[in-house]
Amino acid sequence: MIKKIIHSLIATTCFVTFMGFGTASAETLRVGMECTYAPFNFKNEDGKLMGYDVDVAKGVAGLIGADLEFVCQKWDGMIPALLANKFDIVVASMSITDKRLKKMDFSDTYRISVGRLVGKKDSGWNLFDDSGKPNPANFAGLKVGLERATTYSDWFENVLPQATVVLYDTNEALYLDLVNGRTDMIMTNPMKAHLRFLSKEDGAGFEFVSPQIDEKKYFGIGVGIGLRQGNDDLKARLNGALKTLTDGGYLEQYALQYFPFAIH
Amino acid sequence: MSFDIELILDSIPKMLVGIGLTFELLFLSLALGTALGIFLLILRISGRWYLAAPTMVYIYIFRGTPILVQIFIIYYGLPQLEFVRDSIFWPILKEPFGCAIVALSLNTGAYLSEIFRGGVLGVDRGLTEAAAALGISVRQRFIYITSPIAIRLCLPAYSNDVVSLMKSTALASTITLLDMMGIARTIVAETYAPYEVFISVMVIYLVITWAIQRTFAWIEKRMSRHVRREA
Repeated sequence: MIKKIIHSLIATTCFVTFMGFGTASAETLRVGMECTYAPFNFKNEDGKLMGYDVDVAKGVAGLIGADLEFVCQKWDGMIPALLANKFDIVVASMSITDKRLKKMDFSDTYRISVGRLVGKKDSGWNLFDDSGKPNPANFAGLKVGLERATTYSDWFENVLPQATVVLYDTNEALYLDLVNGRTDMIMTNPMKAHLRFLSKEDGAGFEFVSPQIDEKKYFGIGVGIGLRQGNDDLKARLNGALKTLTDGGYLEQYALQYFPFAIH
Repeated sequence: MSFDIELILDSIPKMLVGIGLTFELLFLSLALGTALGIFLLILRISGRWYLAAPTMVYIYIFRGTPILVQIFIIYYGLPQLEFVRDSIFWPILKEPFGCAIVALSLNTGAYLSEIFRGGVLGVDRGLTEAAAALGISVRQRFIYITSPIAIRLCLPAYSNDVVSLMKSTALASTITLLDMMGIARTIVAETYAPYEVFISVMVIYLVITWAIQRTFAWIEKRMSRHVRREA
């Protein structure tokens, strides 16, 4: 008799719990992000949270039927806060790296890690063939501005040793010397290049002179949603939602609000 | 703090690749700076205010501001002006090496002219007055009487300036040049090991400083043979 009651109790509990997870409004996903990293996650003049990361988080939450709660967290404490259960997922433009994978888990990528060359308009150097492969011979004698010890300088030294590499300490100095004519082109993150240079007055005479270069060996896998290890169920649902967002063209739609090109 | 001796031994040869550029910067800007210093000195002691006054302003500006600021103004500032980019100086100013040489020469020239002036003022007036009484011209007095004594007087200060110029060449690494310091900074950015790498580069600079000091000590000794008593 007592056994029976216990059984039914357990069964009821399980059922209720299961129902709880099943309904849309009962689950709340707490999302960690910096809230200061424009244009990916930032607050506009009205104090409203915006950006590519925010759009992705909303899109994913809509698909898996969860409510969202945003938690603003400084970058250097982001992973500790995730591990300390201050929030459930990180949607903060966090790149997937081996080092981070030792402590946490990531969904599939929702943004790529790429580099892109910027140079003078209509220079006709014929640097890349139609399939996007570089023509090494045409790089000979050209000066390329790069930031010191970045994935870009790694890629150049290994893939295009013909080019003359000039190393800079800051992103701004790259643009200055490109405008001044000390370098023929620069390689950097296309989003940064667009926001800080190409969309500004100084960048008027310049354009992207290469396709997006994303050799994984040098540039890494990309940016994903971070979560604690052992949450395979959540991870599977996130991945499912991201796939829908990607296939349905939503990610591209989000990106085009902030950039004139897709970033996935 | 872990200390990686192997990394030190590994990075010293890499940084020595840049020693050629460090020496090029040093010797070229020392030569140009010395010439400029002499030129400024002559203007300064010419006795004509319209020559001396601009020189004093120049010296004041270049001694009164950090050389890093001067390098940045020459490297990043000047090209912002359209006419600089169209001028005949652009082939020099376009190259970071040219900018570094210009900045280091202009700066050290200001210091050296003051050092030279100290030497010239230290020469006993009686000597030049005696020469004047003998009918020796101003130019000859300067070349044959004032200069040799003045050079001897300012040699210790000159050698100090060579050492500080040598150290200033490391600033060229801030405008993309890969001198020893530039290479060191790249290695640090790759290995995240500032202690090992910067200590290695420090050791190299110390050795160069030691060589400069020994050289000048020898020159000083040689130039004062006539006043030294033989044992």
